[in-house]
Amino acid sequence: MKKVDKKMADAYFRARTLSITIYLIIWFVVSFGVVLFAEPLSSITFNGIPLHYYMGAQGAILTFILLLFINAIVSDRIDKRFGIDEKRNEAISSGKTLDH
Amino acid sequence: MDAQFLVSLSLIVATFALYIGIAFYNKAKATSDFYVAGRGVPPIFNGMAIGADWMSAASFIGLAGTVMLLGYDGLAYIMGWTGGYLLLTFLLAAQLRKYGRYTVPEFIGDRYKSNAARLIAALATIIISFTYSIGQLSGSGIVIGRLLEVDAAVGTLIGVVLIAFYSAFGGMKGITWTQVAQYVILIIAYLVPVIFMALQLTQNPIPWISYGEVISEIKTLDQELGISEYLVPFTEGSKWQFIALMFTLMAGTAGLPHVIVRFYTVSTMKAARWSGAWALLFIGLLYLSAPAYAAFSRFILMTNVAGQAINDLPAWTAAWIDTGKLSIADGNNDGILQWSELVISNDIVVMATPEIANLGIFVIGLMAAGAMAAALSTAGGLMIAISAALSHDIYYRSINPNASEKKRLAVGRWSIVIATVIAGLTALNPPGAITQIVAWAFALASGSFFPALLLGVWWKRSNGPGVIAGMVTGLTVTLTYIFLAKYGGFTILGIIDTGAGVFGAAAAIAANVTVSLLTKAPSKEIQEEVIDLRYPEQMTYKDGAVWMNDEN
Repeated sequence: MKKVDKKMADAYFRARTLSITIYLIIWFVVSFGVVLFAEPLSSITFNGIPLHYYMGAQGAILTFILLLFINAIVSDRIDKRFGIDEKRNEAISSGKTLDH
Repeated sequence: MDAQFLVSLSLIVATFALYIGIAFYNKAKATSDFYVAGRGVPPIFNGMAIGADWMSAASFIGLAGTVMLLGYDGLAYIMGWTGGYLLLTFLLAAQLRKYGRYTVPEFIGDRYKSNAARLIAALATIIISFTYSIGQLSGSGIVIGRLLEVDAAVGTLIGVVLIAFYSAFGGMKGITWTQVAQYVILIIAYLVPVIFMALQLTQNPIPWISYGEVISEIKTLDQELGISEYLVPFTEGSKWQFIALMFTLMAGTAGLPHVIVRFYTVSTMKAARWSGAWALLFIGLLYLSAPAYAAFSRFILMTNVAGQAINDLPAWTAAWIDTGKLSIADGNNDGILQWSELVISNDIVVMATPEIANLGIFVIGLMAAGAMAAALSTAGGLMIAISAALSHDIYYRSINPNASEKKRLAVGRWSIVIATVIAGLTALNPPGAITQIVAWAFALASGSFFPALLLGVWWKRSNGPGVIAGMVTGLTVTLTYIFLAKYGGFTILGIIDTGAGVFGAAAAIAANVTVSLLTKAPSKEIQEEVIDLRYPEQMTYKDGAVWMNDEN
């Protein structure tokens, strides 16, 4: 065990929370935001479908899927930048698990 | 017995044989197999298993029908049931995995150091999963009822026997791999008819692109006939109902015990994040198709069925009238079936559409097998959650801590059988449409687990009395609102029973925060444990600093 510099530990937490905050803002805008402005958005059409309907039926879901994959990839990169080794994680995780 | 019956039945029997074979091959031997499948499931397969676990009869049978009947307002279900995965994956899944327990009540009990909190959470798990499984059993009743051309209630009873036997057998380990197979079958069954319909109606086999065309034609038909407005927002309920329902389904998704437990079956936090991403991709295939399905069905009904002579209706109508889910009444006695005279339950739209579109007996049989896969896989996951709450959180952790593994497995299996039978009896006379019953389960989860887990993971000051107050308040507010709105006609801002979760969650968070602040802070050890969840496995938060585990 070695102590991680406080600056480094805080930087790790900040990088993770910042990206999650950004994703959740996008999540809110494409779902709740679009519903709040459904009436004015309905005058715009996309692929023959009014925009408010398109976002509900396809646009929001596609954005959600994309955000989840971006999160998985970005998180892996952050872990790598801070020298986290997934093999080590696996070993620690299976040892630390409470089984009873 | 006609050819249709034989084809559907043999497809169902063949897929069942496959599931039972897989469950038998992976039979649970140890407790950790029974609850968390030995914790080594690869993320991509876990994603499929989450998909099957998650996509229930409500998604498979009910979703497209709900969109078809509600138009734009039905899309709250589509966005709500997918958007919740972001809350779950970003805010809870990885952290709960690092904590490493068997069940959600166990996390709550240990994080808040409170036996009472664990018991309340176990009770909430049972209530939520039980409500949810009523929807599943009533769904399998519709499928079996149509297949055997008997009343849906008789179909439900047959479904009970199948599900009880099947989920008591394998435990989590068996169920994980069966669910992977069930995902593959249910998604093929869903996509085949929608692709054929796209080809029939638009000459383009890619429904996600081509249904825009059908949507514009529906818009024109709506205007010509003046009967309904499919695309106009908030015709079936207020804007606030839409938002409340969407929130309820999202927060409920993040708090459903049988889905969260799937994140315990992977090896690390990283694997939990990837599981969430794969899961939503696999789920998205169905959720992106449901609105296309709805548009195609509605278009066919509007152009081929409405406006026909009553005596001249196609053969499929008779079979569905037998199940009690379709009624046709010639209100104005003109011998013609008007659009308004066709009363179709939203639960049968998906199952009936292949027949409506004349897609042939094989596709119809495939749909039946897919619907059974959806109902069975979710019911299996729910029953495991109920059985874990009873046998692990209540029996083992509170009543008999010295129970042998064998005894605990036996308690687990028996609780599955009993829970299925009771849920089945309730499902004989379901209190609502499948999507509505399922929405109540989500409302209860968003009023109880979502606040408890969110604060438990992200707010170290939250304590035992706080979480107890939160869960009790949340459940009470949600249940009261559901009953008042459904039976008492009471609503706030036009929010009906299915949107109750928004009040439950708000009340639970307020109660948790207030009571936590008024009572003693959790011990230093617990507070550090909570901060520890923000870092990957290799980092540990202890004594006010982060430590890196770099030994080999």
